[in-house]
Amino acid sequence: MRKQLLGLCLALVGATPAMANDALPSNLLYDASRPNKTIWPLPAKNMGELKWNDHRQDLSRWPTLSYEDKRPTAKPRKVELQGPLNGDAENGKKIAMNTQRGNCWACHVLPGDPQGGTGGPPLMNVGSWGYTDAHLYQQVFDRRVANPDTFMPPYGSNGVLTEQEIRDVVAYLQSLK
Amino acid sequence: MKLTPVALLLSGLCAVSLAAHAQQAGEPVYREYTGYIDYGKSPKASDDARHTGTWEHWKDRAKLDEKRVASAEDQWTTNWKFMDPPFDGSLHGGHEAQDRGEELYKQLNANGRFATCLGAKRGDLKSLRLQYPQYNRTLKRVVGMEQMIEHCAQQQGMKLENGSYDNTAVSVYITAFSNGMPLKIDVTRGPLKDSFERGKKLFHTKAGWTNFSCATCHVSIVGRSLRGQTPTTHYGDIAHWPTYRTKDELQSLHVRFAECNRNAGVQPLKIGSQEYTDIEVFMTALSNDYPVAVPSARD
Repeated sequence: MRKQLLGLCLALVGATPAMANDALPSNLLYDASRPNKTIWPLPAKNMGELKWNDHRQDLSRWPTLSYEDKRPTAKPRKVELQGPLNGDAENGKKIAMNTQRGNCWACHVLPGDPQGGTGGPPLMNVGSWGYTDAHLYQQVFDRRVANPDTFMPPYGSNGVLTEQEIRDVVAYLQSLK
Repeated sequence: MKLTPVALLLSGLCAVSLAAHAQQAGEPVYREYTGYIDYGKSPKASDDARHTGTWEHWKDRAKLDEKRVASAEDQWTTNWKFMDPPFDGSLHGGHEAQDRGEELYKQLNANGRFATCLGAKRGDLKSLRLQYPQYNRTLKRVVGMEQMIEHCAQQQGMKLENGSYDNTAVSVYITAFSNGMPLKIDVTRGPLKDSFERGKKLFHTKAGWTNFSCATCHVSIVGRSLRGQTPTTHYGDIAHWPTYRTKDELQSLHVRFAECNRNAGVQPLKIGSQEYTDIEVFMTALSNDYPVAVPSARD
């Protein structure tokens, strides 16, 4: 009985923040009945109404620019890599060089991409720079801990990549020599 | 009797949740911002000279450096003026939109009331574009011209949804009557000042999965390559909107904002929303003194 009560208690505590987040701002381009929720307008020729397309993912999960949005930015989070890295470099590469996942190549030059961006430093041989796995893990998880003014997305703190996916990305980066 | 502990537990949980809620309401929400550059109280396009320093390369559309325009590395410094008239006089989808806009305008303004509703004096469209964005007494808010086109068309029984092709086509048609005239909005007082200040703050507010603000791309990493795209300065841009995108899409500024947001991993807002209008006011002030040129095109 006590265990059941504890379960109920935890379930309710867990549900509280989720319920607060359910109240989305009213002025988002958002349609709960569509597969990815987030929609975007297409001005179709010679029409007085907009057509709507589905964005590739639900962006309403993160803070928006709506004045009604009272959700906070995820605070910078220091993490410690537990145990051995155990990352899959092949999978990490797929995440880094995919516009719809890590999209690392938007800002960084990576081997095999002639278009690599210059928003951040080139990572052609980052694996030979002598960084520890733990350091790179923190950088990908949330670089704001080292530099509050960084514009590198906090992949871990914002829940963009899972811990294992970040391990995979770090394994890929360490393989670049 | 068996229910008592449950009730106690539930009331305890309620108290915890209420306390957490009260704390949320009392404290400012933690948000992050990109640092402001010095915008001053009354910005203008030429202020870009002390920002990205590209001003000299786009200050006169008629005299752009052809070599710079052709250069993959330096083209961004011409701030997309190379597809504007008079530098580029070729026909494109923007001209088609202008024709469509004229056709719709003539239907809408058959009784002269559409032009009056938009604020034209004696039906003269010259410089009408320069009145926007404005605080509108009828709608009791700051609006862009496309929002008023939607409103005034509705009065004439026509649906021209803000952001739609036909709304934007009418906007291009009307805007062309101000070609060559410099944008000039006064953001030093009244509701436009408040809107400008809100827009400035929004432009620097981080959001989305990337934790990017508008300023991340257009201030922090302006001029750097993002896999084939190079973000340009936020000064002097508004003077050629609405524009024809070479992917064959006529876009109003707010439709572009929605695309900017999506590209940066940020949830887009409704077209005509107060937020997008405030950003429009902020950016229009940063285009003050720069002459209007439509129909324009850009990638």
